[in-house]
Amino acid sequence: MSESTVRYSPRGRARAIKGFLRQFLSYGSAQVGLVCLVFFLVVAAVPNILVGPLQTAINATGDFLVPPSGQHLLGTDEVGRDVLNLVVHGARISLMIALLSTVISLVVGTTIGMTAGYYGGRVDVWLMRLTDFFFVMPSFVLALVITPVVLEVMGRGGEILGFRPSLFVILVVIGMTSWAFVARIVRSQTLSLKERTFIDRARVVGSSNFNIMVRHILPNLVPQIAANGALVVAGAIYVETSLSFLGLGDPLQPSWGTLLSLAQRAGAASAGAWWYLGAPGVCVLTVSLSFVLIGNALDDTFNPRRRVIP
Amino acid sequence: MIHSSQGGTSLLEVDGLSVDYGLKGVSSRAIDSVSFALRAGEAVGLVGESGSGKTTTAMAIAGLLSPNARVSGGQVRYRGNRLPIDDDAAMRPHRWSETSVVFQGAMNALNPVHRIIKQIAEPCMLKLGMSRGEATARARELLEFVGIPTDRGSAYPHELSGGMRQRVMIAMALACRPSIIIGDEPTTALDVITQAQILKLLGELRSQLNLALILITHDLSVVAESCDRVMIMYAGRIVEDGSVAEIFAQPKHPYTRLLIESIPNPASGKKMIRPIPGDPPNLVNRPLGCAFHPRCPSAMAVCATEVPSLDKLGRGRVACHLHRSSQDKVAVHA
Amino acid sequence: MNGGRTGRHIGSILIRAIITLLMVVVLNFVLFRVIPGDPAALLLGGARTSVTAEQMEAQRQNWGLDRPLFPDQVVHYLSATLQGDLGYSFKFRGQRVADLILERLPATIVLVGLAQFIAILSGVMLGLYAGWRRGGAVDHIATGASLALYSTPSFWLGMLLVVIFSTSLGWLPGYGAYSPGTITGSLDSLLDYLRHLALPVTAVALGLIGQYVVVARAAMSDVVTEDYMVTARAKGLTNGQMLMRHAFRNAMLPVVTLIALNLGYVVAGAITVEAVFAWPGIGGLTVEALNARDYPVLQGIFLLLGASIVVANLIADLAYGLLDPRVRQ
Repeated sequence: MSESTVRYSPRGRARAIKGFLRQFLSYGSAQVGLVCLVFFLVVAAVPNILVGPLQTAINATGDFLVPPSGQHLLGTDEVGRDVLNLVVHGARISLMIALLSTVISLVVGTTIGMTAGYYGGRVDVWLMRLTDFFFVMPSFVLALVITPVVLEVMGRGGEILGFRPSLFVILVVIGMTSWAFVARIVRSQTLSLKERTFIDRARVVGSSNFNIMVRHILPNLVPQIAANGALVVAGAIYVETSLSFLGLGDPLQPSWGTLLSLAQRAGAASAGAWWYLGAPGVCVLTVSLSFVLIGNALDDTFNPRRRVIP
Repeated sequence: MIHSSQGGTSLLEVDGLSVDYGLKGVSSRAIDSVSFALRAGEAVGLVGESGSGKTTTAMAIAGLLSPNARVSGGQVRYRGNRLPIDDDAAMRPHRWSETSVVFQGAMNALNPVHRIIKQIAEPCMLKLGMSRGEATARARELLEFVGIPTDRGSAYPHELSGGMRQRVMIAMALACRPSIIIGDEPTTALDVITQAQILKLLGELRSQLNLALILITHDLSVVAESCDRVMIMYAGRIVEDGSVAEIFAQPKHPYTRLLIESIPNPASGKKMIRPIPGDPPNLVNRPLGCAFHPRCPSAMAVCATEVPSLDKLGRGRVACHLHRSSQDKVAVHA
Repeated sequence: MNGGRTGRHIGSILIRAIITLLMVVVLNFVLFRVIPGDPAALLLGGARTSVTAEQMEAQRQNWGLDRPLFPDQVVHYLSATLQGDLGYSFKFRGQRVADLILERLPATIVLVGLAQFIAILSGVMLGLYAGWRRGGAVDHIATGASLALYSTPSFWLGMLLVVIFSTSLGWLPGYGAYSPGTITGSLDSLLDYLRHLALPVTAVALGLIGQYVVVARAAMSDVVTEDYMVTARAKGLTNGQMLMRHAFRNAMLPVVTLIALNLGYVVAGAITVEAVFAWPGIGGLTVEALNARDYPVLQGIFLLLGASIVVANLIADLAYGLLDPRVRQ
């Protein structure tokens, strides 16, 4: 584990960050991952500028299932929508779900792991028993049975911040079911940090437990959380794509997984419409691989011997 | 240029051996023109800091150089025959049958998933062609020989103490009746009492089986207890070679003197270990002349320009400009 | 070695498994109460219109729905579940959920079992070899390809396989398990079944191979740097002896764990692939249940997945204990 504990002066911290970046960017895989990721983030940020508003069956611009051409770079779908338009808008949906669910997962995982590790005793035992359950049960399996029930309870109407509520259901369910991995790592790190002298010093000075956790322990967990966070995103993309493929996404705001589901229902594979199912799939593969590569490079940087990939 | 401290026939001769390591296109010399001879039954200590080349020297003799090592000069002869030390496959028959190794920290040197009896019996089956039953019987004898109750043979390495594991390692090293045993820091990581027991065991085996012993260590006091002869290495070269008694009584090389002075000696009331000033040498970018001159309290001008050769002095050898005959000594004090 | 300790170790593993399984059942119970609508009506298979008031009342009594939620209803639910009573399907009127699942299970087991077998043989061997010859050409290609496979949803691989081998080349069927009109029991029907199996098995296996290569390679390249491998070399063993006698078993420790865990996870992972190929297994049933909002079936599947995962974890823990003497204590 990283032996450095954060007690830098501002200048020392800047130097540490610079050294870290130099090391991190020296990995070819990290460079490839970052370039791909930045590309997709830009695409997701301004889809309207790039390809105009999301096309629907009503404002579709082409014929049915036309192969790629100068007019439709990635061809059209079964109702004549431009696949490029769908995929670019899908980037916004897919990335939003993946990143927000990761935030939830990291917050929940860090909170539970840190609390369990810091307080120990009974708190630890019960929190870890809970964590064990979520560790053993894959997010996909839990989400598969929880998501439809929650959708039924909430209904699918309306919009929140420009996104359909069903998307929020999916992202919250993914986030709430994929934190166990993070909690375990954070707990073991907290256990070792707790014994360090600077924590004792803070305790002697009279800092509250909350203060110690947030000010002294949390900053030292950042490397672990970052490296694992990248892998959590990759996992979230996988779960979201699978759930949406099974029809739990929102057809009015299609993610890449929902597009694959629509392609499947339209019989794109047996019609040989490779562009229709190929485009969203390549996007999923690229983004997911980027996060895996970045996660591996982060892990190699922070701690050269161990690898994160299970 | 083969020297043996007391004459007699040599079991092993190392002659002008140089080994380079290549790492990411940068080549560094790990050992440079190392020459010495070893008689049957002799115990030699090979002493130096980490990076001095003592381990590379020993691994070259055992035919265990790593794939990125290259023999750039010299040779090793065993009973007069040249050993193919840079050919992994050709060295295989020699390994363990003639030269075996007792590695340091026997915890990881023993395979965690096999019972110890099986690990001791393995070379008997593979190298001596024994049947499983014969090999197991021999492994039992060996266990007894190193002082482990034979019923412990079914234990796994993690179930034994550090000292016991080191004994297992020694029993394993004896399996094919070698004539040379290399001890690679065999007592590091053991407590003082266990350390003494292991050294005593090695000493007894040596006299009973007429084994030659090469003991690699950074700890001169270990050598003092268990060796006849000691070779001091610095930056890939032997800087001094002589009998233990002479070297401790009258060290000739300044580095040897500093090493001896840095041994903590509770008897003389000297509690503080005095480390040798300066940094260990950089092997990629070694200093010109004598590699020790930047740290040497007695350095002269010639030391910075000319590499001292390892010359006979009295009954031993030393590589230092201070001890060269007066006519070719350009004695300008730095 | 110590029998008491080993017993306690197995005991604690068993207790953890049982707790996890109980939590699955409790989650099912909670979800069932959360769904809008009368639980009694739900239990009667969604036949909301044709059920008489008496039937509803009988159902209510039968399931103890008139009694308090805790502990009565929970206990009742638990005991019913333990007896294999998972309720009735909404979509397939009057059919017991347990029967539906048992009917679909063999197809999934064939698919998943065959895919596991192929993936273990090829992926583990390739990964171990890549780790043994770390930095070689095979290593670079295998690592790159398996990272890509690892990041690819296997159902999408399935769709690609259909486009290439079924639609374009016309070599293999990409839909269902049998061609219409084949006589069951004949050799032709078996060949037909195998041809239908080829693409879905490939899709599931490719997804697994990526994982196996990554883990086997990591395990082997850790083992290669261990001190006991230097000892083995010093003993004069050949490369083959070093690999088979010393490296293999140590490297297999994490791999065996992964294989055992995958026995449980793969059933879930194959759901999407089955959906692509309309394979008549648990995956197909899941999609039908999702589309029809057939909650009893969905929960039955959840229970099945949970149980298989828990059992797989149990096997993984026990297998690790058998292989690694250090864990036995």
